[in-house]
Amino acid sequence: MKIVVCAKLAPDASDIEVRSDGTISLERAEWRIGSFDLQAIEAAVRLRELNGGSVTALSVGPLRINNSKLRKDLLSRGPDELVLVADDKLLNADTSVTARVLAAAVQKIGGIDLVLTGEGSSDLYFQQAGLQLGELLEQPVFNAVSRIEAAGGSLNVERSLENETEVLDVPLPAVLAVTTDIHTPRLPNMKEILLASRKPVLEWTLEDLALADGEKQRVETVSLRAPHPVERKRILIEGSAEEAAEALTAYLSKEGVL
Amino acid sequence: MDFKWTEEQELLIQSLEELLQREAPESLMAELDAKHEFPFKSWQALADNGILALGIPEEYGGVPADITTLTLVCETLGKYALPLGIIYSLGIITIRDIIQFGSEEIKAEVLGGFVRGDLPVALGITEPQAGSDAAAMKATAQIDGDDVILNGQKMYCTLSKIAKYILFMTRDSQGANPYASISMWLLPTDTPGLRFNLLNKVGWWTVPTYEVFIENARVPRKNLVGQYNSGWPQLMANFEIERLALCAASVGAAEAALDDSLSYANRRVQFGNPIGSYQAVQHILTDMAIKNENMRNYIYKIAWMMDQGMSVRHEHAMCKLYVARAACEVTDSAMQIMGGLGYMMDHRVQRLWRDIRLMRIGGGTDEIMYNIAGPQLLKQARKG
Repeated sequence: MKIVVCAKLAPDASDIEVRSDGTISLERAEWRIGSFDLQAIEAAVRLRELNGGSVTALSVGPLRINNSKLRKDLLSRGPDELVLVADDKLLNADTSVTARVLAAAVQKIGGIDLVLTGEGSSDLYFQQAGLQLGELLEQPVFNAVSRIEAAGGSLNVERSLENETEVLDVPLPAVLAVTTDIHTPRLPNMKEILLASRKPVLEWTLEDLALADGEKQRVETVSLRAPHPVERKRILIEGSAEEAAEALTAYLSKEGVL
Repeated sequence: MDFKWTEEQELLIQSLEELLQREAPESLMAELDAKHEFPFKSWQALADNGILALGIPEEYGGVPADITTLTLVCETLGKYALPLGIIYSLGIITIRDIIQFGSEEIKAEVLGGFVRGDLPVALGITEPQAGSDAAAMKATAQIDGDDVILNGQKMYCTLSKIAKYILFMTRDSQGANPYASISMWLLPTDTPGLRFNLLNKVGWWTVPTYEVFIENARVPRKNLVGQYNSGWPQLMANFEIERLALCAASVGAAEAALDDSLSYANRRVQFGNPIGSYQAVQHILTDMAIKNENMRNYIYKIAWMMDQGMSVRHEHAMCKLYVARAACEVTDSAMQIMGGLGYMMDHRVQRLWRDIRLMRIGGGTDEIMYNIAGPQLLKQARKG
């Protein structure tokens, strides 16, 4: 089975700094593999371990993603090779642009049986790129996938929905977005980290994908600001459980919560 | 000068930090400490994720790693799960002795097992009358055909009962020079004739220490590690890295103590303001941070020197002396910042404070570090 796993490389949320005017600074943020994509990588690697084949990691984004440490980080987690589409025109790409670039890259790789994505990106978490990718590739596409098993030429797939678990037989090729609980991602050891630098990395541009002008965004970001921080009240309620409950409800009523 | 780690080192430490948060969280370390239980599952997780393979030759399942990388691992273990840092550091000396001096058979058995998750080989050196003066040991080895019969009593033999082996040091009473009369044996802990007496310690509650009585323990003569009567220089060959590893774990613990202190100083409100807003507290925190920075710089300079093949004969002793004392000061300051809460058994700081105190004694006392460094400094000055 020839698998492509999509992984977004994005600024680490814990490094985000909020300026005094509420705008966001990512200047000091370290870029990492999207936390939701780690499960997709793990699912892809396990499918290969059980059924043979290959795993290609695919990431698209601004030039900053073409970083030696990020490449090693991705490849140390099990993929056989990495394809990077790096262009600063993709700096603030919305999901439709991302999906179109991913689709063009998957088509250029060619002969892919299965594309896996995480349930959403770690920075914007729109949860749309995977579904749009399936549509663009004109392949069966499902999200909320919590189990995948190869069954002959198709896949037996479980989807965790709000009130039920759906079991589907999905023909290949297909696109699946996996949940965060599908697997616990493995942690790379030194051997795998050292091996990562020897694995092939293909660096493509938008021109290589015949998308030279970039793609038109469908979402315009007008501004991005952090909510105003609210000073903590630091109220300590003492007394018996009944008295404390009464005092708590009084405070909540006063604040308009109840 | 470049203070940056390699990308591989950064990725390894990133992976190890996540592993420790998964497999050795603070809540588990606190629980095991209270129960005086060894962290078997966390130790196995280190093996399963290739940490124990670092620095072991590839033919025994290991992965090449320089001393700087091993130091980084020890520091990270010390910061997130100090007992694991201690256990790993204790293992470094015996495991490296096996690598350097063990026969092929011993190496395949011990190193392969260690990579798969066996506990480190315990070190049997100290005796009731032979502590800092370790060469005053009295344990004996009597050759009997293809076997050797071991006798003696070892003190402060950490991990010995739960480990598979003790690296057992004996002295040939016929030798005039004690330093040329010591031999090193691989003693399986299930050998008939061994008795263990658990010792109660102020700290290191998850890392058990024993008094071991060895009476007519018969092992094959091929269990000799290295050359007969060459045990002392063999042991000394790896004392420097053991001390560096213990230092690195101590630095990690001091960083954890500072993290707890900073978090508490921002959170704890007295007289209407967080205590961190008061200069008296800021001064303590700044002194702690400076000591941590100095300790880190010191250990990585020693690691770098060792990786370059440079001698660290007196430098490592000065580093151990400084780090052990500074780490004790930092954990003590953490307890001071946290006041009554820091003295409570529920908080991590008291554990760091207890566990770190041994660093001024174990692996060579402060006073022995002075004894190593002082004469070397004078000798260098005479040469210069």
